[in-house]
Amino acid sequence: MLRAVREIEGGIRLSLNAAGRLPVLRKPPILESFLRQVYFTGVTASTGVVLRASLLGVLIIAITMDVLDADVDLAVKILLLVVFREVGPLAAAVVIILRSGTAMSAEMAMMRISGQTRALRYMNIDLYDYLVVPRVAGVMVATLALTFYIQALAVAGGLLFSPFIIEASFMELASRLFDLFSPVDFYYSVIKALLFGFAISACCCYHGLNPPDLTQNAVPKVVTRAVTQCAMLVLTINAVFAYIVFGILFFGLVKATV
Amino acid sequence: MSAVLQSEARAAPQLALRYARHGKREIAIDVPAGSVQRLELPDAASRSAFVTAVLKARCEADEELELFGQPVKNLSGRARQKLRSRLGALSPIVGLINNLNAWENISLPSAYHGKPSLAEVATITQEVLDVFGLEPRTFLARVPDELGRLERKIAAFARLMIAGPELAIIESLDDGLSRAECARVAGFEQEYRRRHPAGTLIFVDIREE
Repeated sequence: MLRAVREIEGGIRLSLNAAGRLPVLRKPPILESFLRQVYFTGVTASTGVVLRASLLGVLIIAITMDVLDADVDLAVKILLLVVFREVGPLAAAVVIILRSGTAMSAEMAMMRISGQTRALRYMNIDLYDYLVVPRVAGVMVATLALTFYIQALAVAGGLLFSPFIIEASFMELASRLFDLFSPVDFYYSVIKALLFGFAISACCCYHGLNPPDLTQNAVPKVVTRAVTQCAMLVLTINAVFAYIVFGILFFGLVKATV
Repeated sequence: MSAVLQSEARAAPQLALRYARHGKREIAIDVPAGSVQRLELPDAASRSAFVTAVLKARCEADEELELFGQPVKNLSGRARQKLRSRLGALSPIVGLINNLNAWENISLPSAYHGKPSLAEVATITQEVLDVFGLEPRTFLARVPDELGRLERKIAAFARLMIAGPELAIIESLDDGLSRAECARVAGFEQEYRRRHPAGTLIFVDIREE
């Protein structure tokens, strides 16, 4: 219990520190580290998701029309709701936790254990500036980009390949999509993707910099803890966000009636 | 009277460092400013405690430390930081960063702090590598795991020369080096002296018993 409280406090402190130091991104080595993070987290992850993301849209449209006996309108509406608001950001978050979260927490734990963080301190280089800020900012940008990428692929895949398995033409699906798309879908996924990126990177940095002990055995423990907590954080943010947006904004606060 | 005291103070050599450790193994070290000293401490723990205390400009309860005539106990955070910027070390505790190549390691502090300029860093690095007969293009592109012990020490030394500390500590210089390599790193003292004629250099090692 005490450890959980300490972790929450440490995580909040790290997040506030990182958020307040964003201007240091202008320094050349930090900017370089930020770009490297964007490349490794976003660009290298993008090739692996092409097929899966494309199939996602096909599956959503085909299942909705076949199982729910829905018309084109409902199928496209569900595609928009599911892909833009829920699955897009969540899929990007899962890819980033599995690919970059593990790597980031292990790398930072190794740096801490082998005394490299101490070397940085002796060179008067702030650990938050050099290690945390570029990773947090880089992962946020990469999560946002990957979310858009997955959304675009899923929608494009859905529109292009669905006509082969259901009775609806590409033009029909596309025109309904443009009719139904609203800016709320866009803002919703932007804010969500940025929050996911922030939570994942802050959690991984916190665990990487605070291993349970300073031996090699601590690295797997750090990675396990970071990945588990990242997944929990992402699911919690997703639930809270959905409740705030759908529950309060659209229907008002639910009041109990006696 | 005061004139006499002043002239005596002027005559006495100014100390760059005064360190004392009480307890089982008493240690007392005085290092005059501008000198080159070779210290042999009784064990690895004492060596590590000494180097850590100096680099942090902070000492434990059983230690006393003065840097450039200034006791480090009760120093404010800013004063301590200022003092630390005058110190540097070539030591395993200030090692290289594993995921950066040699050039990035050498230029990291100056790129972060904004001084000296990268052009100056490149010039100093080139000069240091020339002295030790290393080919810059291949050497600087390698990450620390691809460098030998001697090469890692030279990279760390180049970084130290760029920082140009008034007080430099070189810890266990010969550790893990062959006899031929030891002869090459002996040139560190001359190179440091050439670049920082008024600087203080301390070689720290463990006494062999």
